[in-house]
Amino acid sequence: MLGVIIGVMAVTLVICIGQGLKEQIADQLGNFGKNVLTVTPGSGSAGLSVLTGLSSASSSLLTASDLSTVENTPGVAEAVPLATASGSATGDHTIKSPYIVATNANFPDIIHESFSSGSFFGPNDSGSVVLGARIAQKLFNDDTPLGQGLIWRGQRFIVTGVYDYFNAPPFSIEANFDNAIFMPYSAAQQASDGSLGIYRILARSSTSSSGSHVISSVRSALIASHGGADDVTVSSAIDSDGMSNQTLHLLALLVGGAAIIALIVSGVGIMDVMLVSVTERMHEIGLRKAVGATNRQILSQFIAEAFVLSAFGAVVGVALAAGAVGLLRAYTSIQAVLVWQAMVAAPVVATVVGVFFGAMPALKAARKDPIEALRHE
Amino acid sequence: MSLIELKDVSKLYGFGDATSVALDEVNLTIEQGECVAVMGPSGSGKSTLMNIIGLLDRPTHGDYSLGGKHVSRLGMNQRAKYRRDRIGFIFQAFNLLPRLTALDNVCLPLLYKGMSTGKRNRQAWDMLERVGLGDKAYYYPSQLSGGQAQSVAIARALVNNPALIIADEPTGNLDTGSSRLVMELLSEIHKTGNTVIFVTHNPELTRYATRVVYMQDGAIKHDEQTKLGEVGRYARAVMYTVPETTEDDDFAGVSAIMPVLDKRAEAEKAKKSKATKRKPRSRKAVKR
Repeated sequence: MLGVIIGVMAVTLVICIGQGLKEQIADQLGNFGKNVLTVTPGSGSAGLSVLTGLSSASSSLLTASDLSTVENTPGVAEAVPLATASGSATGDHTIKSPYIVATNANFPDIIHESFSSGSFFGPNDSGSVVLGARIAQKLFNDDTPLGQGLIWRGQRFIVTGVYDYFNAPPFSIEANFDNAIFMPYSAAQQASDGSLGIYRILARSSTSSSGSHVISSVRSALIASHGGADDVTVSSAIDSDGMSNQTLHLLALLVGGAAIIALIVSGVGIMDVMLVSVTERMHEIGLRKAVGATNRQILSQFIAEAFVLSAFGAVVGVALAAGAVGLLRAYTSIQAVLVWQAMVAAPVVATVVGVFFGAMPALKAARKDPIEALRHE
Repeated sequence: MSLIELKDVSKLYGFGDATSVALDEVNLTIEQGECVAVMGPSGSGKSTLMNIIGLLDRPTHGDYSLGGKHVSRLGMNQRAKYRRDRIGFIFQAFNLLPRLTALDNVCLPLLYKGMSTGKRNRQAWDMLERVGLGDKAYYYPSQLSGGQAQSVAIARALVNNPALIIADEPTGNLDTGSSRLVMELLSEIHKTGNTVIFVTHNPELTRYATRVVYMQDGAIKHDEQTKLGEVGRYARAVMYTVPETTEDDDFAGVSAIMPVLDKRAEAEKAKKSKATKRKPRSRKAVKR
C-alpha cells in the first residue's frame, strides 16, 4: 500500500514539476508572438545571423521605403522597424555611446514586455523616448524618471516610459533592451539627415499564423521594389524561434524521460510489494484450498484484493501529489502545474501493475497442491 | 461399499538417488461410521496418509476411491469440491486465518460453496454453539486459547456436514484438559454417524477409537478393532515408545542435575549446623 502511494506520488509529482518548468521556460521564450515575420537585409540564411546577432547589416541596410513596402503588403497588419543610431545621450548623467533603438509606436504590439512606469510613445510623439531598465538607472538619479528631459544630438526628448527588466532577449545577444533607449524612428531619421538604415523589420501578419503565403508576398514585394535584386531575407518567427523550440523540445524529452524512469522505479516497487505480500500469504492460500476453494475462487479473491489495494493507494498517491503541487506553488518558485494526463495515467499504470503482480504469484500458489502451500510458513 | 478404499498406494518424494518413500504400497479399507486412530513413530507416513485420504495430496502410485469414486486422478478443482463437500480436515497447528474472526473462519467452506451471507453466518453460528464457543464468535484466533482455537477448527471442519472427518494430531499442541475437550467433541461427531480418522501419539486416546492402525516405515504394521473406551492392545504394547520425560525435563539437562545439587547442599548445611551446635554444648559442659 505504502509502495503504491509513494510510487504514484513520485510519478505524478515529477511530471507536474517538469511540466511547470517547461511552461515557465516557454513563457519566457514565447513572448515573441508566433505570427511575426522578420525581414533582414542580405540573402544569407537567417539562422546564422539570429544565432550570432551579427546580421549582415554592414553590407546594406533596409530603408524607410522598404518599411512602407512591407506595411502595405496584403496580409501584414503592422510593421516595426529596428534601427540603431549613434551619439551621446545626456540626462542627469551623460552616456557616451548608448544603444539607441529607433522604432515606431507598434513596437509593444510585437515585443510583449511590461513597463515599470509610464507607457510606450504614441504614433505622433516625435519628442518622446522610452528607456530600458538598466539605462534608466544610469542616466537618471530618479527611480522613475518620467517627464524628465534627455538631450541627444542637441534635441530634447521627454521620457514617457521605463521598461521592467526584459524577461528574455527576444532576438539576440546584441539586442540587450535593458540598455536601450527607444526613440521614434522618424525623429532619429531626421537627426541623421534622413538616411538612417534599418537592420531589421518585424511584421505582424493579420492571420493568426505567419503563413508561408504572407512570407512569399512580402518577399516578392520587396524584390520588386528593389528592381528584381534578391537581397532580403524574410522568415517567420517560428524559424527564428528555432532555438527556443529546440530548447522546449529537449525539455519535453527530459521531463518525459524523468517520468518514465519514475514510472519504472515505482512499478518495480509496487511489483515487489505485491510479490512479497502474496508469498507471505502462501499458507493462507493453502488453507483456503484445503477447505475447498477452487483455483478460480482463490484467484478472483486475490485480484479483487490487489485491485482495491492498488486503486486506493493510487488515489491517495495522486491526492498527495496534488497537495504537494499546491504547496510547491505556494511556498517555492517552482510553478508546478497539475497535469491531468499524469494524474490519470500514473494510477492506472500502478493499478494494472499491482493487479498483475498480485494475481500472478497467487495463481502460481493456487496451482500447487494445498499441502505444499500449507507447508509454507 | 466401503467409504475409503486404498489400493497399493505409494507416495515418493524426490527423484533418483534422493528418492524417499513416505508410503509403501498401503492397502486400507475404512467403512462408513468407523473411528480410526492412526499411530506410529514420526516419519512413519501417518500425515502423508492423512493428506492423501483428505485429497490434499496425490499418491504417486496406486488407486484411491472415496465413496465408490476413483479420486486419485481427479483434476484440481474437482478435488477442491470434494474437500469442500465431503471432507473436514483438522490440523495439528489449527490453521485458522488470523485476520478473520472465529465466525468467519467457520464460514469459509460455506463461502466457497456460494452460500448467502445470512445463511452462512447462521449455520456457522450453530456450529460454534455446538462446540461450545457461541460466545466467542467475534474473537480473533489470537484471542483464543489452544483448545478454543482447535474447537473453532473443528467447527469449521464440521460446518459442511462432511461424511469424513480427518484429524492430523488434533491434540498435538494442546494440554491434557484441552485434549480431552477436543477428543470428546470428535467422539460426539463419531456418535452422530460420521466417519472419523485421527492421528495420535498418545495410546490413551485410542479409547475413543473403534479401530487402531499402527504404521511404521510407510507401511501398516498392525491393524486391530477395539472397543470404545478401551486402549488398543497393540497400542498398550508400544506404550513404552512414548517418552516419559517431557521436553521441559530435557531442557539443558538442568532439571536432572538439580535434585543432586540440592541434596549435596542440604548435606553441607547439616554438617555446618552440627558443627555450630557442638560448640555451645561444649561450653555448657565447661560450665558444668
